[in-house]
Amino acid sequence: MVNSQDTKLSRRQIIKATAATVIPLIANKLPFYGSLAHAAEESDLGIPKNGSPSQLLRAAMAPLGGMGRFIKKGQRVVIKANIAWARTPEQACTNNPDLLSALIKMCYEAGAKRVAIWDHTCDNYQFCFSRSGLKEAAQKAGAEIFSGHGRNVYKQVEVQKGRKLKTAEMLRDVLESDVFVNFPIPKHHFATELTLGLKNLIGIVWNMEQLHRIDLHQCIADINTVRKPDLVVMDAIRILTTNGPKGPGKTEDIGEVIASTDIVAADAYAATFFKHPKTGKPFKPEEIKFVKNAYELGLGEIDLSKVRIKKVSVA
Amino acid sequence: MKRTIPYLRRMVQALSFFFLLYLIIKTAFPLELKIPVDLYLRLDPFIGIITILTKKEIVLRMLPAFGVLLLVFIFGNFFCGWFCPMGATIDFFDRILFRERKQTKSFSDQPLRRLRYGVFIFSLATGIMAFQVMYLLDPISLITRTLIISFYPPVIFVFNHFLPQVQSLLPKNLFIMSTIPMLVFKVNLLIFIFFIIILALGVVRKRFWCRYLCPLGTLFSIISRFRIFKRFVTDDCTQCQNCVKGCPVGAIPEEAPESYRQQDCIACFKCLDCPPDAVSFHFGSPNWRMVNSIDLSRRYVLGSLAIGFVSALVIKANPLQSESGLINNRLIRPPGSLLEDKFVSVCTGCGECLKVCPNDALQSTLLEAGLSGLYTPRLVPRIGYCEEFCNFCGRICPTEAIRPLPIEEKRLIQLGVAHINKTRCIAWDMEKICLVCNEQCSYHAIVGDEKKRPIVKEEKCTGCGICENKCPVDGEAAIIVYSSGVQKKLKPEPNSAVNSKV
Repeated sequence: MVNSQDTKLSRRQIIKATAATVIPLIANKLPFYGSLAHAAEESDLGIPKNGSPSQLLRAAMAPLGGMGRFIKKGQRVVIKANIAWARTPEQACTNNPDLLSALIKMCYEAGAKRVAIWDHTCDNYQFCFSRSGLKEAAQKAGAEIFSGHGRNVYKQVEVQKGRKLKTAEMLRDVLESDVFVNFPIPKHHFATELTLGLKNLIGIVWNMEQLHRIDLHQCIADINTVRKPDLVVMDAIRILTTNGPKGPGKTEDIGEVIASTDIVAADAYAATFFKHPKTGKPFKPEEIKFVKNAYELGLGEIDLSKVRIKKVSVA
Repeated sequence: MKRTIPYLRRMVQALSFFFLLYLIIKTAFPLELKIPVDLYLRLDPFIGIITILTKKEIVLRMLPAFGVLLLVFIFGNFFCGWFCPMGATIDFFDRILFRERKQTKSFSDQPLRRLRYGVFIFSLATGIMAFQVMYLLDPISLITRTLIISFYPPVIFVFNHFLPQVQSLLPKNLFIMSTIPMLVFKVNLLIFIFFIIILALGVVRKRFWCRYLCPLGTLFSIISRFRIFKRFVTDDCTQCQNCVKGCPVGAIPEEAPESYRQQDCIACFKCLDCPPDAVSFHFGSPNWRMVNSIDLSRRYVLGSLAIGFVSALVIKANPLQSESGLINNRLIRPPGSLLEDKFVSVCTGCGECLKVCPNDALQSTLLEAGLSGLYTPRLVPRIGYCEEFCNFCGRICPTEAIRPLPIEEKRLIQLGVAHINKTRCIAWDMEKICLVCNEQCSYHAIVGDEKKRPIVKEEKCTGCGICENKCPVDGEAAIIVYSSGVQKKLKPEPNSAVNSKV
């Protein structure tokens, strides 16, 4: 069912698979829709973060068929990272710089012509870029990094499938990209309980704050109908469990990177990292309203039992 | 050599002006320039002296200014003729606008020449009364303020206007650049008109401003009588009046071109262009007796002093603190500012902090701080908020009216406290899920209750204004920061809560 691959690409895949020391025999059988792969450190002691970010990412991508499945030679890749706050990488409010760097490198290895990192930051973009270390990481890896602080980089689009949101101004580069990668970091969020992959896309909208006036949960789902990400890479190496989304708060080292083509399934899985403040049990995906709304819009599968999860290990 | 000196001077002037421009452009985010970006202000002895008078302490940053003052003992008013960016601008406009214009018939400008001494004494008197309005006339502060407040926003406007058009000509997504958020300074027109008037006075006389008004030039003039690098004229002088006509500040009297008013000479060396080669400059012993000096009568000096004292008192007693006549509790000063009455007397209104503020949060006051606080910075949260990890305004303030604080200390300065207007808040009034203020708050000062409605914890609020800035309510925000009057330091958060692992 996987798209027909020429020899060149499958060879690249094999190299990657070997690098990850996991032979993705199953790769050819993975369904295109609703597949979710997840790389975790298998350890009895539960010591997180044994694998380096780059190893985790390669392991996570392997069951999906490697990066070559998504990126063809000469394509333009846009990564929507989470650089919303002027926080340091240890505080887990922004993406892990090493992981971003590994992701960019994998995109270039797969033949990407140009990789651009975008975010519409909440704090001043210069402070966000420098304090989070992501600007340095991105530029070292050869990618361009942009902030959407000027209205001219946005384009007015109609949200045809949107239930509440009818029009929105979204980043032109994202809409016109060949490959769009959503690169969120799951975090606690006081207003919406959690910040996940779906909510990360708020950062491609010009007047983000205005969405709260309409209906935040529905708007998050509506935004995701416009440009579906081709790939979701969720950075759960370290997550923020309190005082989200800006932090600083308590952090937890999960040591996982989740790669998926289904954003709802990825969110549903990541929600289980967090404990519900009232019950103390891990969140059920349905308890996050925007995930439920996105499921109802047909953006993906919310029921994890219907999703094929492949746990792979980093040796 | 004599021929090249005017060109050399013009070049030095242009370089000086563009260097100031460069420093102003560099007064922005990373702020990693080795030279202080407020260099020109720090070299200004007038600001240095008035700051000592108003602040009643020596500001270390202003020490270079006294170095300049020492140089005046040697070269006289060289700064005006060679390095002053304001003088360079006036010279340039005099040259292109009023070149062909014949100088009006010579009139006795003694009263006008006296005026600048009157202005200077007036400003010293007001300085002693701790009132800064005379900074408005300081040339360095004036040109910096004019460039930042009046000329920088139009540059951004033009840039923002043409950027999308240039981008549309290029292939898609080849050249991505965001427009710059537009700056809004409501005093820009006022400052612009003042600047134009100064330039237009060149119609009356070349360098009218420098001759008759500039307080910095007056300070230099007073010391200039001690100068040891002087002009000498030999007996070859034919009274051809060439140097009299050429002198840009009118320092050579018509009736006696072999002498000169050394207190007015700006060392431009134009008079070296002398047909009989009679003029030369070299070192000599200081000449105490002034040639053709102005008559500063005791009455005049005392009168200027009295006017200075009285007007300072009147303006200080002016109750105009806000539009309502009460203390303006929306007057939020930048973090680390001195106490209000001291702040308005030490701030030079140069506008450097307005330029450096990364969120354009600082605005220039018109009358919000009363007459005595004209052109002082204030934080307007709806326009921009105080960035958590930024202490730039304190780092570049030349007179330390905004104290330079380390970032950790600046984070804990409470500028004001946010208050929620529950009738406007969409969470309180319409029960929507919003909490934008909570997610934006850097200090955990806004928490949500069980229905996800925001509540402000006053003991943690620093008044940075990010909540007011980002509030999605149209027009006036539903959460407003009110000044707490006196800035105080909050207790640091216990580190245990931050970054501890589960």
